[in-house]
Amino acid sequence: MKFILRVISLVRLTFFICLVVGALGILGGILLIFHVAGDLPKLPSPLSRIIETPQSLIYASSGQVLMSMGERKVVPLAMVSKNFINAIVATEDHKFFEHHGINKLRTLKGLYVTLFSAGRVQGASTITQQLAKNLFFSFEQSWQRKFKEMLVALQIESVNTKEQILSAYINQIYFGAGAQGIEKASQIFFGKSALELNLGEASLLAGLPKSPTNYNPFRHYDRALKRRDIVLGRMETVGFISHSEAQDAAATRPQLYSGRGDAGSGSYFIDALVKDLVQTYGEDVVFHGGIRVYSTLDTRLQSFAQKAVKNGLGKMDTLMGLDPKEKDRPQGALIAIDTGSGAIKAMVGGRDYHTSEFNRAVDSRRQAGSGFKPFLYYTAFQKLGLNPGSVMTDQPVSIPIAGTKDWEPQNFEKRFSGNMILKRALTWSVNSIAAQLVAMTGPEAVTALARACGVNSPLENVYSVALGTSLVSPLDMAEGFSVFANLGIKHKPFLFWRVEDAFGRVLFERIVQNQKVLDPALAFQVVDMMKAVVDTGSGRTIRRLGFKRPAAGKTGTTDSFNDAWFTGFTPSLCVSVWTGFDKKRKLKDNRGVGITGGRGATPIWTDFMSNAMKGEPERDFVIPNNIRFEKVDPVTGCAPKVGEAGVSVALKTGQTICGEVEK
Amino acid sequence: MIQKWYDPFSAGEWAKRTFSFLNFTILILTVAFGVSEFRFDWCEKLVGAYLVTTNDLRPETGALWKAGRQTSDAYKSLNLIISQREDSRRSVQRAESFPLLVKSLGSGEWAILEKEQFRTLYLSLSPDVARQLIDPSHLVWLLNGNITDRIFCEGLMDGIKIYFINSQNRVIHQIDLKKNTIKKLESANAPIKGQLKEIEAFTGRIYPAENFFDAVFKLPPEMISELMVDPDLLLKQEGTIQQVGIWNEADDGYIKLGFEFEYRGESQVLLIQAREWAVWQLSLILKGENQ
Repeated sequence: MKFILRVISLVRLTFFICLVVGALGILGGILLIFHVAGDLPKLPSPLSRIIETPQSLIYASSGQVLMSMGERKVVPLAMVSKNFINAIVATEDHKFFEHHGINKLRTLKGLYVTLFSAGRVQGASTITQQLAKNLFFSFEQSWQRKFKEMLVALQIESVNTKEQILSAYINQIYFGAGAQGIEKASQIFFGKSALELNLGEASLLAGLPKSPTNYNPFRHYDRALKRRDIVLGRMETVGFISHSEAQDAAATRPQLYSGRGDAGSGSYFIDALVKDLVQTYGEDVVFHGGIRVYSTLDTRLQSFAQKAVKNGLGKMDTLMGLDPKEKDRPQGALIAIDTGSGAIKAMVGGRDYHTSEFNRAVDSRRQAGSGFKPFLYYTAFQKLGLNPGSVMTDQPVSIPIAGTKDWEPQNFEKRFSGNMILKRALTWSVNSIAAQLVAMTGPEAVTALARACGVNSPLENVYSVALGTSLVSPLDMAEGFSVFANLGIKHKPFLFWRVEDAFGRVLFERIVQNQKVLDPALAFQVVDMMKAVVDTGSGRTIRRLGFKRPAAGKTGTTDSFNDAWFTGFTPSLCVSVWTGFDKKRKLKDNRGVGITGGRGATPIWTDFMSNAMKGEPERDFVIPNNIRFEKVDPVTGCAPKVGEAGVSVALKTGQTICGEVEK
Repeated sequence: MIQKWYDPFSAGEWAKRTFSFLNFTILILTVAFGVSEFRFDWCEKLVGAYLVTTNDLRPETGALWKAGRQTSDAYKSLNLIISQREDSRRSVQRAESFPLLVKSLGSGEWAILEKEQFRTLYLSLSPDVARQLIDPSHLVWLLNGNITDRIFCEGLMDGIKIYFINSQNRVIHQIDLKKNTIKKLESANAPIKGQLKEIEAFTGRIYPAENFFDAVFKLPPEMISELMVDPDLLLKQEGTIQQVGIWNEADDGYIKLGFEFEYRGESQVLLIQAREWAVWQLSLILKGENQ
């Protein structure tokens, strides 16, 4: 009896203790609410205010809108597939339509874990709480933040309907790949409106907000599918779909939108442009100022550039025997500059923007190899008074360098050909002659010339700079070679012509200035030699592939086949193409033969140029008045023997062949 | 076990106390509180309703309001840029001379200059000074040849640049107005204190005014106008001409003539430009007279 009485007494005591503790807890909670209420953020009314940031627009040179920054395509719930609404509710908060902002049981569980499991903070966020967090709070995990987020959620629930809250939520969540809001995500990932999403697609999208980067289907398709299956499981558990529906949807592999990489969506060009704009005007103006930017991008050329890089790299994969699913495949970059103004007309910074946003056309620094030699030859003409008909000997060379062993550069073919004129030396890309020239000019003169032409990457003043050992970007090469294409006139490359505010008031306007940096005649001599590279030298693939217009350029291949380049130009367009692995890995075909600039980059250049120049009037490089052509023997540099064709060299007034005195 | 004074003495007392009305009421209220909260969420609604009443008094903090502030900051920045542009444009429009034009633009500022204004500024210069800025025939082509779309001025640390731009935004002509050039412009028409003999470039080519003008009047009338391209300068100068000198070097088809004026006992030399070929003809006459 006594035992029973004691139990009753204990139960009663426990009950009252709990009651007191509960009452104190409620009292404490009320005091806490009063305490933090003053610090809570003010809520806008209506919630749709979340989309009021003005859009900044970027236009292509044709006037077409390339991108709208800060854009959120807001759609009402009625314009969103029921599949997606069910999927997101099942995944994020299946009691959404029942609670008033917080899920008490999940919150109590979360509170228990947070209080009694050291170092763990468990969330139990409802959709309303997530909305509150996204709109007002940082992602810091703390109980104070959670408490405030909970209170704001309660207020949101008090003044909005469930439909308004859900609508606000799905229109502002981030899905990755630049997609904010369901409509934009649907367009980016599947190229369709949110209303058209089927179960498989909707469940895939609903799985992304948990970790947009990790589940980005463009990069981690299989991972995204696994997450999709979890979403389908939740939908089935909650009762939104049947088991067979879940199984049918899980068996599908949703087709991702293939047009995502075009100029209309995120691209390397736009990244570079936005970076440039932010440096000039700051992030606030660019992303929140509603500015209008008239870019230099030619969507037609951009499309050709993307296709050329994609096709070229695809062929390279085949050449190398690489599986298309293999992760480590060679990358490529292409940049096209209008030689007459410096306007960047097209830019491709890699295979696929959505799998790698690193812009290799602008931010990558790689050895240019022999592609750097035109700067050397110009320096030699200018400083040493040599000309394309001057004769030098292709022979083993040893150039003493203070403090280290002699520099003994090898030719690409590992053999020497004896005497030859400089035009042939460049056409054949002879390293030993380039080494002799740089020994005579000094590396400082070569780097100074390259810098004057617009090579902005740091260049080392070492002899080997003449053979392209310094690291440069495709932009550097295109800018530098543009000066040759313009016969000495430099135009700084740029990405936009004009910037206006939302009312059309001009903030910036580009004017094109000519800056003479090279002697036109000497520049023409180098161009004439580079034409020979395309016609008969290491870039002759261009002619073999059917590009017949006047063009000049230079291939570049690094010793270890890590990089394959071709930078070339017509009188109106200068294009630099790079191919190689991001990691240190050699470009070798499936027979183990190294891939040169002529095999790797030149086909991409030709593919692009053939399309880009279609419909353009054909014109040759302007020959300066003080230039004349003479035929010479490529070995002796003298007049060719009777019956021999010889090689045509461009000579400046005052220059002679074979040591003759000018008549 | 010791019986406490407040313990019930019997089981009946125990039961009575345990199932008392007060206890029941508390229990029922507690359960009702819990169940109704889980059923109706009134706690959440109460708190939410309270927070709605304090909404207007709370700070505009958090990501959403930050975005709003960023928009507001962006507009402020844009308005600042635009108002600076407007200020530059207005001060450029007000400039009545090239030196004032240079002063109106700070480094990095730019403004569009109306063609008509450039023409006015140019015509306000004396012909020889204007020619140093840009050859008149070239300017005629630029302004009247339908090739210039706009004239664009850019402020620099040490002066301004004036660009003549075509409709493709290409610079078709550029004038660099450095500060020292401006000083020259400002002082170009001012007479130099002193005598002709003190200027080495006139050595051996100084003639009494009477002889000089005698020789001038022997030239055909159309040649005289080429000799004194800008007679206004001479007419405006106070004092009497004592001597005239011919500079020893031609520059771009022109030769300087130095007119030495005497005014209130002080000598001053005024330099004007004359066509080289007219001066050459004049020199022949002067040499003949000297002989």
